[in-house]
Amino acid sequence: MKHNTVRLLLAASLVLLVALSACYAPATPATAPEPAAGEEPAAEEPGTVILRAGTGDSGEGLNPHQSIIADFEDQNPGILVQLEAIAGRDYYTRILTQIAADRAPDVMNIGDDAVPSFVSTGAFLPLDECLASLDFDPSVYLPGLLDPGTVDGQLYFLPKDYSTLAVYYNKAIFDAAGVPYPEDGWTWDDLLTTAQALTQDTDGDGQTDIYGIQLPANWTTGFEYWVAAAGGSLISEDGASYVGYMDSPEAIRAAQFYADLYNEYAVAPPPADLSAFGGGNSDFDTGKAAMRIFGRWPQAGMLENPNIDLGVVGTPSDAVEANILFWGGFGIASTTEHPAEACKFLSYYAGPEAAKTWKDWALPAAIEVAESPEVAGDPFNAVWIDELGKLKPRAYTFTPFWNETADPALRKALETILIDPTADVAAVMQQAAQEAQSALDELLAEQGG
Amino acid sequence: MHMTRARRREALAFYLCISPWLIGFIFLTVGPMLYSLYISFTRWDLLTDPVWVGLRNYTVKMPNDERFWQSLKVTVLFTLAYVPLELIGGLALALLVQSRIRGIRLFRTIFYLPTVLAGVAFVVVWLWMLDPRGGLVNLILARFGVVGPRWLLDPDWALSALIMMSFWGWGRAMVIYLAGLQAIPGELYEAAAIDGASGWTRFWRVTIPLLTPTIFFNLILSIISTFQSFTNAFVATNGGPLDSTLFYVLYLYKQAFEFRAMGYASALAWVLFVIILALTLVVLRSQRFWVFYAGERSDG
Repeated sequence: MKHNTVRLLLAASLVLLVALSACYAPATPATAPEPAAGEEPAAEEPGTVILRAGTGDSGEGLNPHQSIIADFEDQNPGILVQLEAIAGRDYYTRILTQIAADRAPDVMNIGDDAVPSFVSTGAFLPLDECLASLDFDPSVYLPGLLDPGTVDGQLYFLPKDYSTLAVYYNKAIFDAAGVPYPEDGWTWDDLLTTAQALTQDTDGDGQTDIYGIQLPANWTTGFEYWVAAAGGSLISEDGASYVGYMDSPEAIRAAQFYADLYNEYAVAPPPADLSAFGGGNSDFDTGKAAMRIFGRWPQAGMLENPNIDLGVVGTPSDAVEANILFWGGFGIASTTEHPAEACKFLSYYAGPEAAKTWKDWALPAAIEVAESPEVAGDPFNAVWIDELGKLKPRAYTFTPFWNETADPALRKALETILIDPTADVAAVMQQAAQEAQSALDELLAEQGG
Repeated sequence: MHMTRARRREALAFYLCISPWLIGFIFLTVGPMLYSLYISFTRWDLLTDPVWVGLRNYTVKMPNDERFWQSLKVTVLFTLAYVPLELIGGLALALLVQSRIRGIRLFRTIFYLPTVLAGVAFVVVWLWMLDPRGGLVNLILARFGVVGPRWLLDPDWALSALIMMSFWGWGRAMVIYLAGLQAIPGELYEAAAIDGASGWTRFWRVTIPLLTPTIFFNLILSIISTFQSFTNAFVATNGGPLDSTLFYVLYLYKQAFEFRAMGYASALAWVLFVIILALTLVVLRSQRFWVFYAGERSDG
């Protein structure tokens, strides 16, 4: 009898222990953020507001975030900001689950193509009230840069930075090959002849050692430039049709030229890792490619790279001059418990003061910084800013379903034509258009049904 | 039911003892499973409310979804290829590791290590090794004059590359085989040797039959876990190129978190559950024919 009682007591205390451990509420959010190195521990003074800021930047890209946050905290002693950085694809997944669990960071950094879907779920606060309360004038930004953050006429995001595409070129390789530098106003034909002149087998082993141009493989967003320059569009203006657009003669011409650069003319190095962003190539950085078409983000690193004597030129035109805009912005979570402080922080984070720090990493959106002698006088920046005059609308602006419907189909099409030199480009694009269309129709039927 | 007081006390003690697990099981496993079953009949993007759509995810969306069939095909192919390799490979390792060489314990640990350490780190190492232009694998092949394929960039080779990468997981099967091998009484080997059986015969007539329960256990475990492969494909190829490594669970993940179709993803999860359950039942039923438990009389 005694044995049983002892056993009973033991079991009961075990259960109690387990139950108590479940009741303990963690001090940090249940979704365990990974704070960056510059984070300050929670203060114990009463009345201190702690804000959380989320971003998808990583590594060195966190430096401007941290220095801006440090400056803000100095100027606002009652507010502390914790930076939660999650690199890569997981960033959106993470904030999605955080929003669903009502634990979203107060201020979040969002890319332009994610704006419509996040806003449609009510995850972000409209900014009118916030800006009015601080007398913040949105006209401090370059014209057109508030548009990606505006949905149905309502402003949700302030711009952080933006970029267009441009063609980097390595003057050292050009000089060695005796090829003249590319000039603004050049065409696809110029691009081809230049790249061909630069592609060479320097040590006679039958394998190309230097390529003409490094292209971003299956990067669907970058591909939109090629289609736009050919005079086409990947989607109809009403956002309901891919058929007739993704497989239009212009889109096919763009895909054909892009694939030919890889396969037919072999002036582009084969992609190193299709699952990495932009194909994962590093040929331009190691001096194995003479040109590279991409956004402004890696420019700072290239300037410090001893292999590269950097030059930048605008994108070549085909039927028309074209370029596309990439944009990042900050918004306030609709579930924030500190809207006033979040608003204050937002206006600083995205404001002209902080733009002086952002300008080293991307193009600044605030007019006063963009027109400052340091920025405007920089010959590289002039190229990037000039490209703003050639902008064509991004495909995602025509439909909130771009990511689920067209993006996978287009990526698959690009991979197919890159991997298989014998692929029939027209047929591949037609199939992509069909797949995207049926995915879209299915989604719309679901929503309506 | 007539229960003596002592019996009742014992039963109570039993339930109290397992109550932590039982409570966890109900709230953390069964509860979420039932919730996901409910969600699979809805359309839900995680941020707005779920919308009831009935059987649509199962009867309309799934059969017409090409990528669903592709992911099923990829997973089945992978399982068909990998499970036998793991069963045989694990056994081979276990037999090797049983030999009485000095330092053999070290190898036992090394072989088991990949199962314990983080999967992602190993996949990254493999990514370097499989790089078509500078990676170790192709460099070694080049020594033999063979031009290696582009591995993870080639839709025809990517799945084979992933199968190769999974060989490091043999450690788990090896350890279980070791336990099974230890359980075979040494006298049986001696008796067989006295009767004139060669090493090979001893292996086939003594080791294997007595090992069948272990093989059976490893088979079920292997089928269940291989069908749910995710990490390798997610880190190495993200389903590409051209969906040639789009594993089922990876596709499920994409539907849930990239396309925010939680309802459809839940439906996919339940279909996977049914498939694995069916396979497990089939293997369980087949026990009768090939698994020999020591102490039973064999069939004629």
